Amino acid sequence: MSSARQRFGDLMSGQLPDRVPVVCNLLEQGAKEMGMSIKDYYSKGENVAYGQIRLIEKYGHDVAWAFHYTASDAEMLGSKKSIFPDDGPPNVGHLIIKSIEDIHKLKIDSRIFNTKSHQELLKTIDILKTELGKEYPILSAVVGSYSMPAILMGIEKWMELLFTPQAGEAVNLLYEKCSQFVNLRCQALLEAGVDMIIYNNPLASAAFITADEFKKKALPWIHKDVQTTGTAGMVYFNGGGEINPMLPALVEHSGFGAFYINPMDDIREAKQIVNGKGLVAAPINDIKLLRFNEEEVKNEVERIISEGKEGGGFIFGTLVMPYGIPEHTIRSMINVAKQAGQY
Amino acid sequence: MDTKADYYNRYFAAMYDTDRDAAMGIIQSALDDGSLTAEELLIDVISPSILKLEHDMVQEKKATLAQHYICSKISSEMTDWLLEQVDRKIMNKGVVILGTAFGDFHGLGKKIVGCVLNSNLYRVIDIGVNVSPETFVDTAVKNNARIIGVSSMMIHTAIGEEGARGVCSELERRGLRDKIKVIVGGAPFRFDDQLYKQTGADGWSPDAIEAVKVVDRLMKEKANV
Ligand code: B12
Repeated sequence: MSSARQRFGDLMSGQLPDRVPVVCNLLEQGAKEMGMSIKDYYSKGENVAYGQIRLIEKYGHDVAWAFHYTASDAEMLGSKKSIFPDDGPPNVGHLIIKSIEDIHKLKIDSRIFNTKSHQELLKTIDILKTELGKEYPILSAVVGSYSMPAILMGIEKWMELLFTPQAGEAVNLLYEKCSQFVNLRCQALLEAGVDMIIYNNPLASAAFITADEFKKKALPWIHKDVQTTGTAGMVYFNGGGEINPMLPALVEHSGFGAFYINPMDDIREAKQIVNGKGLVAAPINDIKLLRFNEEEVKNEVERIISEGKEGGGFIFGTLVMPYGIPEHTIRSMINVAKQAGQY
Repeated sequence: MDTKADYYNRYFAAMYDTDRDAAMGIIQSALDDGSLTAEELLIDVISPSILKLEHDMVQEKKATLAQHYICSKISSEMTDWLLEQVDRKIMNKGVVILGTAFGDFHGLGKKIVGCVLNSNLYRVIDIGVNVSPETFVDTAVKNNARIIGVSSMMIHTAIGEEGARGVCSELERRGLRDKIKVIVGGAPFRFDDQLYKQTGADGWSPDAIEAVKVVDRLMKEKANV
């Protein structure tokens, strides 16, 4: 049997692995494993690392997450407050951009790396590399510049700015600064040793824009975001919205080698569009896992794998697993996926 | 072309381009030259325009969400302005209290739904984000509302005790559960059409067009109580 790392290695070099790799995005669940509140859990990088290690020991999926939460990107740029619920993901609690002037004032430089958010994440990466790095690929995530303004100024204000005549310059300036941030951040993550970066771009999904608009407005920023690092190890992630309509342009022009589609995207269609020019990761609709019984889990996992497995180049995944999914459901999802994914 | 259709087409085009001033100019000229009354504009121009825009977005994937948001704001503003010129009693289909669940700070979906309901002649009271169940119910009672709409973007706020479920229990506790209907919406509900049942709500909707239909239906059910 291959290690998880070999499995991904095979996939990336175009070979058929022993089975379909299983990505399971368990984040806050680590706090439960560590017997901590979500707030305490995220206060130290080592908590998250050991939480992830326990999750892998418990469930046996194929990747370790060196990622805390999306709001930490905002913290790195000066957001002073994140909100920590008892049973869900943290949220941005302080929007740093309130006016066009704030966009001009925003400074992106290496000081972002002195922040606690970044330093704690480095600890997580370091421990995971040492403890699991030989066997497992280590994943982290960034928000693409096209989506980032939502966590800096709030999505409503951002949408309004997009349609304010004469604000075009400020809009571009904010994209530009976000993209500088993404470049710095991706470079730092790769230097710290993460194997893959999930590039999260929900505002560029079909939940927000048309395929045409994607090509014209989002794609150029995707290019800019990976200028420093290139696209090796980058996975284009749907962020919760559908991306099949964007796939032709992404496959043709982005240089990304892996595409993580949405549960509402048709898997066969995605594989057809990608046509061997990259990997396809297809997730289960994990919100339904809150109520699915064993039988329903089995049927759904088998359906996904049977639609994507043929010919290789395929990964089974989840979106952002809700905290309330019962442990036995997570177990059976992963076990069925491993079984059904055998080549 | 008949006058109504002409104004509808011109207004729709202006709104579609998110040109608020042009949209307002078209409405003003219809009023000025007496070709349409404020009531006609509300029912035959404003409301169908925003519903068509949303249809174009959802079904035909022609419009973008940012555009949809701006158009729904224009539409809601035009409605408020025209309502100043008509008998509000006749043009008011009822009061809807709309807010985002406690612990949740996401307001975009709720705002769109609010603007579209408003453009369909409901009086919408938007009580913002991070709203406790007590505040939802207090505001509904104070304003004689028959519908409470609870929006959430994350699963823990969608089905948690302090979200819509809390609103339903609070209504129950005050003996108001059969008088005030609860409707839910937001991203997690779009991933599972059964999810609303876990909240005890009376209905849900994946978007703003459906929201209008569900609220219309619940108001009718209510009327029959
Ligand atoms: C864009 C997006 C983001 C963006 C912007 C978010 C924002 N709004 O500010 C960013 C990148 C910042 C983001 C971040 C996160 N996100 Co996000 N995101 C999305 C996405 C793709 C779209 C959400 C959105 O804004 N849609 C546009 C609005 C207008 O649509 P809407 O809210 O659904 O509203 C419509 C309907 O639902 C309905 N409606 C809404 N309210 C109401 C109310 C009533 C009464 C009625 C009748 C109808 C109704 O009508 C509206 C108009 O059509 C969704 C997935 C999806 N497909 O929906 C995930 C999603 C919401 N995100 C999710 C998560 C987990 C997160 C994070 C917590 C991730 C993390 N671990 O850090 C962070 C939180 C960030 C923060 N706030 O600090 C999850 C939530 C589910 C869960 N597991 O809890 C989702 C569902 C994706 C998923 N399936 O995993 N996200």
